[in-house]
Amino acid sequence: MNALITGASGGLGRALAIEAASRGIDLVLTDIDAQRLNIFRQGLLRQYAVRIEVFPCNLTNSADVADLFSWIQQQQIHLNMLCNVAGIDFEGDFLSMDCEQTIDIVRVNIEGSMRVLHGALRHRDPRNRFTVIMVSSLASLYPIPLKATYAASKRFLLDLSLSLAQELGNQNVSILSLCPGGLPTTPGALQGINAQGFWGRVTTNSLPAVARNTFKRALKGKHIYIPGVVNRVFSLCGNLIPRTLLARLLYLRWSQARQGRPVGEKLIG
Amino acid sequence: MQTAVITGATSGIGYATADALLKKGFHVLIIGRTMHNTLQALSSLREAYPHASINGFYGDLMQQDEVHRVADEIIAYLQTHTEGALSVLINNAGAVRTWYTTTLDGIEQQFALNHLAGFLLTHRLMRSLRLGHGRMILTSSASHKHCRIRFDDIMYQRRRYSCLGAYKQTKLCNVLFAEEYNRRFASEGLRAYAVDPGLVNTEIGFKQTGGLVKLVWALRKAQGVPAEKSARTFAMLATAQPAETNLYYYDCKPVAYDRHAFSGDAPQLLFDLSQRLCGITTFGGERL
Ligand SMILES: NC(=O)c1ccc[n+]([C@@H]2O[C@H](COP(=O)([O-])OP(=O)(O)OC[C@H]3O[C@@H](n4cnc5c(N)ncnc54)[C@H](OP(=O)(O)O)[C@@H]3O)[C@@H](O)[C@H]2O)c1
Repeated sequence: MNALITGASGGLGRALAIEAASRGIDLVLTDIDAQRLNIFRQGLLRQYAVRIEVFPCNLTNSADVADLFSWIQQQQIHLNMLCNVAGIDFEGDFLSMDCEQTIDIVRVNIEGSMRVLHGALRHRDPRNRFTVIMVSSLASLYPIPLKATYAASKRFLLDLSLSLAQELGNQNVSILSLCPGGLPTTPGALQGINAQGFWGRVTTNSLPAVARNTFKRALKGKHIYIPGVVNRVFSLCGNLIPRTLLARLLYLRWSQARQGRPVGEKLIG
Repeated sequence: MQTAVITGATSGIGYATADALLKKGFHVLIIGRTMHNTLQALSSLREAYPHASINGFYGDLMQQDEVHRVADEIIAYLQTHTEGALSVLINNAGAVRTWYTTTLDGIEQQFALNHLAGFLLTHRLMRSLRLGHGRMILTSSASHKHCRIRFDDIMYQRRRYSCLGAYKQTKLCNVLFAEEYNRRFASEGLRAYAVDPGLVNTEIGFKQTGGLVKLVWALRKAQGVPAEKSARTFAMLATAQPAETNLYYYDCKPVAYDRHAFSGDAPQLLFDLSQRLCGITTFGGERL
């Protein structure tokens, strides 16, 4: 079995790759930085006896992505799985952020994901089931002031995946959207979790557990996975409260949590 | 003059140990995580010992490529200053993590820093230790007791992550590594020790941790002894003539450690696994 993982050298990407390798799945890892990818590949090879290929590429660049897939074809790798993890976010409210930064969020999270998803589906192993894990976010479930672009971009991925799951369901393709709350991946993410105090703590998920359950559910053909009981309760409440009121409540929460954090700081990706 | 290398020497126990060895007339090389913290520690040590020979290196020792880079720099330095010889290596850098996090190499962070970093650095500096008939000291902890290494899941990928459980396991790794090191190299006149520093008043529980860990450490730390007190044990082991022959020390004396944890070839298994995870074929290279 072969899986392509994007954003593979970040915290969640590594956790999913480790989970895949522990299941004996061969991997094609991609991310923007070749050196980081190679370091991870070597570390992973020392832990698991699977085949691991790396191909650095910028997902917002169509030529790069085309190269990735023609290389995959040349290598005669038939994909059975895609984990689309690559995604970015920056700290700051819409107006104080540089406009290009907000657009970069859209480019990577939406444009990049579309390219990879399209390419991977075209290069899938036609004889077998194809499983997609789309990394969305808990943020996709609500309009989130002060995180507006990021949340909206993840909403796009969630809705796209839910629709495509139906379109492609009879072609042996299943799509799972992963909607995690806080993930303790980088020092920046940790600061974010700590800044939210109690709520940060209870909405934070353990990486290996998320990775394990994501694979379990995706391979069972589930469509959406929201890790953590508190997060699932939140998502239920989110469905019951009118979206305008939700936006107002979330604005109050985020404006407190964000205080004193520098605008434009890269949060993930 | 004798030379000592100390990792994690920019604060806490490592810093106090650097101070104690400078007092004994050692030539001290400190290793920190960041340039900023390393320069700060260097300048306050130089202020206290204006005539001493002291130098600094830095790198994120969780990352194996950084360990290699720092090792290259230290080997080059020793080559020009001591004809390559090193008398004391103190693997002290350590950290606590509240949640499961991995390094770029895909290794759980506490395991990567608290155990593997020291393992790999020692491997790289073995020639220098041989030339200097050197001693290697690991900062372990009494928390290594009543814990076992789960070789099937040493990095907590299959079980619920426990901050304390993962930490204790790394401190047990320190004792097991010292034991296996002695078994392999004592005949060459080399020795390793594991030190229990006691409960020490340092900032370790506040660095890149969160939530309850910070709270618990705030309470624990207040009961801790000053780092200078535990530094005495390191200084004693570094200077004792002839070399001490026990494995595990607390408050300048050999004390009991958890021997049950050694059952089933645990020291060898850990050594082999660590070699594999660091990509080492022959630990320490050839004899001189
Ligand atoms: N405090 C205790 O009660 C106690 C008890 C038993 C054992 N220990 C052990 O004692 C050792 C020293 O701890 P401490 O209490 O003195 O804490 P500390 O003051 O935080 O010292 C840790 C040192 O390690 C450095 N370090 C942290 N992460 C690093 C990395 N990724 N790469 C390189 N260096 C890194 C730190 O630098 P930065 O400050 O720049 O991060 C600091 O110099 C640890 O191994 C700990 O497990 C402590």
